[in-house]
Amino acid sequence: MTEAPILDISNVHKSYGASPVLKGVSLEVRRGEFIALVGPSGCGKTTLLKQIAGFEDVTSGTIRIEGQDMAGVPAALRPTSMVFQKLALFPHMTVAGNIGFPLKLRKVPPAEIAPRVDDMIRLMELKPEYLTRFPKALSGGEQQRVALARSMISSPKLLLLDEPLSALDVKLKKVLQAELKRLHRSVGVTFVHVTHDLEEAMMLADRICVMRAGRILQLGEPADIYYRPTDPFVAGFIGETNLLPVTVKSVTAKQTVYQSDEIADAKGNVPAAMVAQDLAAGPALMMVRPELIRRVADGEKMDCSLSATVTEVFTKGGTVQYRARTDKGRELAVEIQGTSALPMQLGEKVRLGWQKKDIWLLRPGEA
Amino acid sequence: MNHRVEARLADVLLYGSMAAALIFFYVPIFTLIAFSFQEGRYLTLPFEGFSLKWYGELFRSAPALNALWNSTIIALVATLAATTIGTMAAIVAVRYRFIGKRAFQGLSGAPLAFPQLLLGIVLLLWFSVLGRWFGFNTGIVTAIIGHVVYIAPFAMVIVAVQVYNFDPVLEDAARDCGAGTWDVYRYVTIPILWPGIFSAAIFSFLLSWGNFYLTYSLAGSTRTIPTFIFSGIAIGSSPLYPAIAAVVFVPGILLVILANRMRQRG
Amino acid sequence: MDGEITRSWRDPELFVKALPSVLLQTTCFLAPLLMTFILTFQRTRDFQLRWTWDLATWTEIFSKPHYWTILGHTLFMAIACVIVCIVLALPIAYGLATRFKAYENEIKTLITFAFITDATLKTFGWVLFLDKKGGANFLLSYIGFPPETVAFLFTDWATLLGMVYNLLPFAIFTIYLSIDNIDRSLILAAYDAGASKFRAHWEVTLPLCKPGIWAGSVLIFLLGVGVFLEPKVLGGGKSPMSAELIRQTFETRVNWPLGAALTLVLMIVAVFIVLLFTRVAGMKRAAT
Repeated sequence: MTEAPILDISNVHKSYGASPVLKGVSLEVRRGEFIALVGPSGCGKTTLLKQIAGFEDVTSGTIRIEGQDMAGVPAALRPTSMVFQKLALFPHMTVAGNIGFPLKLRKVPPAEIAPRVDDMIRLMELKPEYLTRFPKALSGGEQQRVALARSMISSPKLLLLDEPLSALDVKLKKVLQAELKRLHRSVGVTFVHVTHDLEEAMMLADRICVMRAGRILQLGEPADIYYRPTDPFVAGFIGETNLLPVTVKSVTAKQTVYQSDEIADAKGNVPAAMVAQDLAAGPALMMVRPELIRRVADGEKMDCSLSATVTEVFTKGGTVQYRARTDKGRELAVEIQGTSALPMQLGEKVRLGWQKKDIWLLRPGEA
Repeated sequence: MNHRVEARLADVLLYGSMAAALIFFYVPIFTLIAFSFQEGRYLTLPFEGFSLKWYGELFRSAPALNALWNSTIIALVATLAATTIGTMAAIVAVRYRFIGKRAFQGLSGAPLAFPQLLLGIVLLLWFSVLGRWFGFNTGIVTAIIGHVVYIAPFAMVIVAVQVYNFDPVLEDAARDCGAGTWDVYRYVTIPILWPGIFSAAIFSFLLSWGNFYLTYSLAGSTRTIPTFIFSGIAIGSSPLYPAIAAVVFVPGILLVILANRMRQRG
Repeated sequence: MDGEITRSWRDPELFVKALPSVLLQTTCFLAPLLMTFILTFQRTRDFQLRWTWDLATWTEIFSKPHYWTILGHTLFMAIACVIVCIVLALPIAYGLATRFKAYENEIKTLITFAFITDATLKTFGWVLFLDKKGGANFLLSYIGFPPETVAFLFTDWATLLGMVYNLLPFAIFTIYLSIDNIDRSLILAAYDAGASKFRAHWEVTLPLCKPGIWAGSVLIFLLGVGVFLEPKVLGGGKSPMSAELIRQTFETRVNWPLGAALTLVLMIVAVFIVLLFTRVAGMKRAAT
């Protein structure tokens, strides 16, 4: 893609007094993209979003929107619009007043504001009779739509979403996630969505940016983040995963050779495509997702395998989760498609195995 | 003691003390209202008869009307100044974090816990010394200044409650919608704080309107209702006073009710 | 609320709003206090202020027990007023916070109005009520009491009544606010622990509303030492309190330095007593 990025963040630092919050963040966002900033609370994702919106200044580094440096540009003059975590609907204005407020500030004549508010109401699938009500009288989901409408009416170049769904119950959250995705597709505006919920990010975003302690750990498409994490923290951030310590002997362009004291693997090599880019010889982790592990029948051939004892069985409905302890005392999570008869019993000694195409080798980190 | 007897006793105590308190608070007020309708010249019971004649006298009494007028002017100006200063101080004291916050809160609220008569005297000394240097006398202006010093902290406390319940993210949201500094105040901050500001203004008005101590020290020869009545009591009660009281009570209770209504809405 | 925004004094958002209050209270509260202090070292002769810079005023104050007797009487009245107000305010405030939810606003309006109305008028109203031929005696004789049963007008009792009347709302509101903030589940927990209703309140509610009691006491005490209207109008001016003495010093004797010094002595002693109590309360808390 040769087009200039709509948002260009380069080497941004932020500290409050002596405590650093952002330690050098660089990120390019493409036009029309839906990008999610994900990380645990305190990772700096909200600070970064507020810097883009203009509510926080940067200690050093630059933020450019459409190539224009935003340093010193107040929030009111930036081509961005934010949906706040607490929605921040004005309690003293009606729904119509809230949605039309950005236009009113831009001195648009009232006669032109009304039809545009109506358009937004239709886009957000809100009932027209809500227009004269106050936000308090609306349900959580409806308030959410009003907040989105208010943010969209001024046709921003960047829509910034600060965990707007975190306060909603699971069912409503699902509905609004679908809504957001539809909205993104239909209006073509670039979305920057902050959330601590990686699953939500996976569902919505084109690219995900995982942050931790003021740094970007990994930036990639959802499948990269899920199957090819470059950092054990990213690997463990969504769902359950198994990280087995191995020792890497050599890394070449074709394959990586490793050694393990408990994984039975005839050759001990991994194709280059299944290895994180920054992997070097030395200690490493082998990641296998629980749903890719299965029981190996006696005499069956499997790329990698080890023996373990089943210590726990959780029936989840469609699938059954197991906990197994390997002979070396390591805990392993396994998820197997449910059948009417349990494939493994509690306390049973079994052989568990997985295919080489399903593994991923990465460098051990702090986590 | 079993629980039911205890609960009964607690109810008797709580309801009884509330009833007693309300009667206690309204004894002098109703006494004054009752006496305002007496016919005779002496403020003693039993009445010689009921009449509205002292109300008529009141509206023909130039000093009384003058006092009423002075009270109103002082209260209006003091209210405007005290509410403005108090509102700004409340935002600073609650919303911002800064060096010297404690000192600011203490300084801005200090006159609340300072006896009014002493405040009046301290200010009288100050204005007398300044007046001698710069050639002015105490009068209506110094009285207004004294009232503002005393009332602004009250206004600050009342508005502070409203500021405390006002989420500053709304101001961010307004800025995000394209509002400049002044727009944020005009469309968001002031409308949302309005119930608090409004009730602060009403309380300020009533505090100033009924203020005796500061006016007494600082108004020079200017008389307001409270000092007018005080100077009269010292010589001997006049049958006019209950009528003045009743006239003063009516707008007072209406304003307090209005302030409470506003606060509930906000 | 987590809405505190860090601002520097150079930020106009801060100083434009802070300045009026700071300016007002510095020039019209702190500076006058300082001036009062300075005046105590001057003298007045022929009704004119002389800048002499000596300790004559202070020598006079410390040599005449008369001033200190009046001060003692003032402090005694103020403390008596605090005790009466707190004892009366506790059940009222507790009831207001727990029992009268339906009429809470009406009751608050009524108390607020009584509190905020012109003190001179209300005090005068008490005179009319307590007078020999006033409302109280009229009502009492109506139900069969002998004439002039109520005869304490123009005594210290009437002064105390007036002080309590004018200052009680401070105690009611501060205690009400602290009770209103108490987590009700704590009291329920005390019930569960087997405490009787009175025990539960004695051991849970009372300690928790201590901040309100304390704030109310300090306010009432500080305002109580400065009362003037009540002893003059209700007490008949027979046993003067400090404020009346100070007023006379200014108006009748036109002795500004002495008046200034008496004002300061009254304030300093009052603040000292508050600090002393704070200290004692703090030590007791540390000991338990």
